[in-house]
Amino acid sequence: MRPFYGALAGAGALLLTGISAVQAATEIELWHAMSGALGERVDEVVKKFNDSQKDYVVKSIAKGTYDEVLNGTIAAYRAKRQPEIVQSNERSFLTMVNSGAIVPTNELMAEQGMPLDTSKFIAPVVSYFAINGKLQAMPFNSSTPILFYNRDHFKAAGFDKPAATWQELEPQLDAIKAKGVSKCAMVLPGDYEWSFLENYSAVNDIPYATKRNGMDGLDTSFVFNKGKLVGQVERMKRLVSSGVMQLAGQGIIPIQLFTSGECSTIIASTASHAAVVAAAKFDWSAREIPYEQGVTPKNSVIGGAALWTLKGHTPEKYKAVAAFYDFLAKTDTQVWWHQATGYVPVTTAAYDAAKAQGYYEKNPTREIAVVQLMRGTPSDNSLGFRIGNSNQINVAIMEEVSAAFLGRKPVQQALDDAVSRGNEALRRYEQLNAGKK
Amino acid sequence: MLARNKAAGLAQAAGGGGPRLRSPLRRLFVKGTSDGQTESGLKRAHFKEWRLPFWLLAPQLFILLLFFFIPSIRALIQAFQLTDPFGATTQWVGFQNFERLFRSNVYWSSAQVTLIFTIAQNVLTLSLALLLAFASNHILRGRGAYRTVLLLPYAIAPAIAGIMLAFLFNPRVGPVAHMLQGMGLDWDPNRNSWHALALVVMAASWKHICYNYIFLVAALMSVPQSILESAYLDGAGPIQRFLRISLPMIAPTLFFLIVINFVYGLFETFAIVDATTRGGPAGATSILVYKVYQDGFVTLDLGSSAAQSVVLMALALLLTFAQFRFVERRVNYSV
Repeated sequence: MRPFYGALAGAGALLLTGISAVQAATEIELWHAMSGALGERVDEVVKKFNDSQKDYVVKSIAKGTYDEVLNGTIAAYRAKRQPEIVQSNERSFLTMVNSGAIVPTNELMAEQGMPLDTSKFIAPVVSYFAINGKLQAMPFNSSTPILFYNRDHFKAAGFDKPAATWQELEPQLDAIKAKGVSKCAMVLPGDYEWSFLENYSAVNDIPYATKRNGMDGLDTSFVFNKGKLVGQVERMKRLVSSGVMQLAGQGIIPIQLFTSGECSTIIASTASHAAVVAAAKFDWSAREIPYEQGVTPKNSVIGGAALWTLKGHTPEKYKAVAAFYDFLAKTDTQVWWHQATGYVPVTTAAYDAAKAQGYYEKNPTREIAVVQLMRGTPSDNSLGFRIGNSNQINVAIMEEVSAAFLGRKPVQQALDDAVSRGNEALRRYEQLNAGKK
Repeated sequence: MLARNKAAGLAQAAGGGGPRLRSPLRRLFVKGTSDGQTESGLKRAHFKEWRLPFWLLAPQLFILLLFFFIPSIRALIQAFQLTDPFGATTQWVGFQNFERLFRSNVYWSSAQVTLIFTIAQNVLTLSLALLLAFASNHILRGRGAYRTVLLLPYAIAPAIAGIMLAFLFNPRVGPVAHMLQGMGLDWDPNRNSWHALALVVMAASWKHICYNYIFLVAALMSVPQSILESAYLDGAGPIQRFLRISLPMIAPTLFFLIVINFVYGLFETFAIVDATTRGGPAGATSILVYKVYQDGFVTLDLGSSAAQSVVLMALALLLTFAQFRFVERRVNYSV
């Protein structure tokens, strides 16, 4: 594989920077999980960097899904053939931090004399990727869920737009189906654990796990089987069994059911903008995710991924990595990235710049995510999530909640089971990582 | 028994009667040169020295070592460990992984799903393949064309087969699903575990019918024409001839296929499940081999995944043992 990629990169470098630059340039690899339109944007931002200077060449290599990238990285690391930079989703934060395989971003940047000022990054991003104010990874593609809706469908059903609270939204969705405007009033996203459970608890300011959702230590346990979240899952079950909310199913990406006009609404990552803009042939818009009546909604939490620097490379390579991160943090890069992909800008300067350009007046839906992320003062429940063994727990929760959808067990029992399976995995993580973060 | 019969058959084919190796290598294999040995075939062959057999076996042993023994031993070790995915921290935890596995309802329900899946898949595959083989054996015109068409699915990658069925049966966009819904069935494999299981069984069977079909066609062709003709003269109809003559005579092939189908269902359907349902909804189609993959590669629970693969390996050994020890005796090979 290596020689092939080497040759490919060599050829690419020749094309991009001209022969003179090739001998001197330091090459580094970036493994990422972006496919389709977003993958092209990654290649573009990398090309922008490569064109911007002559000393370094970054090669972007798509390695499949986030899971596949992580697996590939682990295999490569164990075989001592790891890339310099790897993109890993927010969920795997603790796995990466405690892997012993990474160079914390703040240390890397300080060593190279390009310190990153965390106060320049937007708060929810910092609270996710920094420990005690020190960035562990370079925030790259950050998103948060928003509610996309088909305006034509809402008009046809006699509504102006989706209501802000679940209490008012649910009858609207029922009406869309009952009036025959569309057979699918909402499509459930594949990552609903993130958008319907985690973000729901953040926005409604209810605890998901103890110890500030794990931020204060590994001895955290889940508590989402009590209170409002049970009601939320009850509601989801109601919507699913009445056929108002549809499940996309294997092979079909939920957002495609929205962009094709089949389903009237979807709660999806703001990064779905890329797909919606490209494919939706109807009048669409978006708004904040719904919350409970009577609640003053808090900020939502981020998803997406960050870039991690792996250990075991030469100082020269780390210089290249630092230069690349520095380039990414630049306001121009961030503004471009935000507008090209739909991800939120990770620095406040970039947000202000986009605003000053009048970008949000022309594209109001692009601002929703940023506003929602920065809404109110973050509480203990909306700071973010720091959960060990999170992939295992994620799968367990999804499995239990869908068992409730199928009617295999009552909602309360499904959530109790999810909590006990989750806690078991948390205890295992604690056992293995005793004494770590 | 099978091995001996096969060897005898080989030997007969090669020389008919006496000791059978005709090649110049023969002197190396057979102890002494006397032709007076009573047992025939390779089974009784002896090597005079170790070098030749070693080199003959070496490539195969090397591959086994690399792809079977080393991974198996590593899995066995890992099954007793708790480890960080990157390998930074490793703890020896004894039987903790196994205890956790056998206490887990999820694992038992996965075992149950696997049982239903393999049996359903086996019955469906074998009966349809048998029906097709019987039918295509009775068609005179265009027999070759039919056979070719019937064999085509085997050339399709399991992942593609799976995703194709997932699309066809998707409750929102699939044409077959719409047909079923039109017939009044509330078809939705995303919300109904039995529908999901049926879908996976269909995908797995569709892919494997061809394999069964090849063997059955060959077996049916080897049924002596003379017996069939005399039955015909005695007034037996095609179905009667099939049930009374052909079927008993192809019993060894059927038995072989049943075992192969179980092995296929247990160990080789991972790609199909992954493409069709991803083990969902709520683990309804998460068969054991898929769970090994999911726990190991998606959720990075390496200890549990290793423990599961050890259990699966034990199951495979048990199955093989049972096959030769108990079942095979009841099958008559002397066609």
